[in-house]
Amino acid sequence: MGIISLFVAAVFTNNFILVQTLGICPFLGVSKKTESALGMGVAVTFVMVLASAITYAIFKWVLVTLDIAFMQTIVFIFVIAALVQMLEMVLKKVSPSLYSSLGVYLPLITTNCAILGVAVANLALASLLEAILNGLFCGIGFTLAIFLMSGIREKLDKVNVPKCFKGFPITLITACFMAMAFGVFA
Amino acid sequence: MMICFQDINWTTFGITVGIMIGIAVLLGVLIMVISRFFHVEKDARIDEIVNNLPKANCGACGYPGCEGFAKALIDGKANVDDCKVSKKENKTEIANILGQSFSGGEETVAVVACNGGNDCKDKYAYQGYGNCLNQEMLAGGRKACPVGCMGAGSCVDACPNVAIDVKGGVAVVDPDLCISCGICINTCPKKIIKRIPKSAKIYVACSTECKGKDVISVCKNGCISCGICERTCQHDAIHLVNNVPVVDYSKCTGCKECMVKCPKKVIKER
Repeated sequence: MGIISLFVAAVFTNNFILVQTLGICPFLGVSKKTESALGMGVAVTFVMVLASAITYAIFKWVLVTLDIAFMQTIVFIFVIAALVQMLEMVLKKVSPSLYSSLGVYLPLITTNCAILGVAVANLALASLLEAILNGLFCGIGFTLAIFLMSGIREKLDKVNVPKCFKGFPITLITACFMAMAFGVFA
Repeated sequence: MMICFQDINWTTFGITVGIMIGIAVLLGVLIMVISRFFHVEKDARIDEIVNNLPKANCGACGYPGCEGFAKALIDGKANVDDCKVSKKENKTEIANILGQSFSGGEETVAVVACNGGNDCKDKYAYQGYGNCLNQEMLAGGRKACPVGCMGAGSCVDACPNVAIDVKGGVAVVDPDLCISCGICINTCPKKIIKRIPKSAKIYVACSTECKGKDVISVCKNGCISCGICERTCQHDAIHLVNNVPVVDYSKCTGCKECMVKCPKKVIKER
């Protein structure tokens, strides 16, 4: 698969949030402000790239070689959780500014299904490089979706919404329309 | 499908368990090593200071929570007095930890300096979305009085400790629940929520600087600047400034003479 088709698939036609309905929790939870939505997007992209590399390597060179590929889900969760934990500690020391800007979002995505989703989806790919690129593109797709959502929600805050739709219901309806819009790509 | 004991492939079982244990041990050791190498020294004073802060995490100081404020204190970016919520003895304690001297600001409480409510006329009927902040955008709110409480509850929404309630069209602060953080003071579009000492016995519940005649035309409970309070006070503690009485709490003895004499009952007991 060419890199361009990989990009288009990850960002538009197979967008993780809006088409595959993975990672809905941060999508609805952290999309109130554009700033925090972008922070979350960057954090997710970061972890996705790292997790793609590590899990793909472990799957191809450990699990497949030993013929225990059925353990993939457990091993992936395990590795990703530990990875994020380590990453947090390293960031705290090496780059306090990046640490404080990613802040609470980093531990939030430890066991996010979007991250695990990327790890599992990567298994169909041919090489480690493609897996890493796929992780990056999926992260970009995630950031795009959460960024668009936060923009819409900031506007929604100022609009007179009927009382029964105020807050969460209108957000879900918005997400539904966005998913339909992204469905056009597929 | 029934799985019997004999069906278990012991080699696969062994490899699986072995690999899982191997990965677990490897990751555990890695995390331990990293936490040793990348250990960040945390200032021990942060915890001590946080213990002396109210832990309300109200954010009124402008920092993310009490721990953020404690960090800012240690970095010298913030002042002990920036936290309006903590008690005097705690502030002194924090100042001791930081090696500063703390002269001590007085504990304060918020009051809404408006008495109008439903007795204050409306300019127009507001039929729209939201609270005072939204109303304010439309010709400065619906009240005819330029500093009248609209009673639409921006302060109620902003208060982190549910200390404010709208009663009879005017917001009222519950002094027992008020943590004196000052968020409502900054939120109110009319700027009529004031900070007074906790020991104060009385307060002036009107903010209008208009002339008496103009006040009577819009509000039954407004201060008409008659000056009776100023003449009544034997302690020189209350004066008309810009047509509205201002209490000097350092001189006020709490005799409540002015409160009794006020014809509009603008001076109220706290």
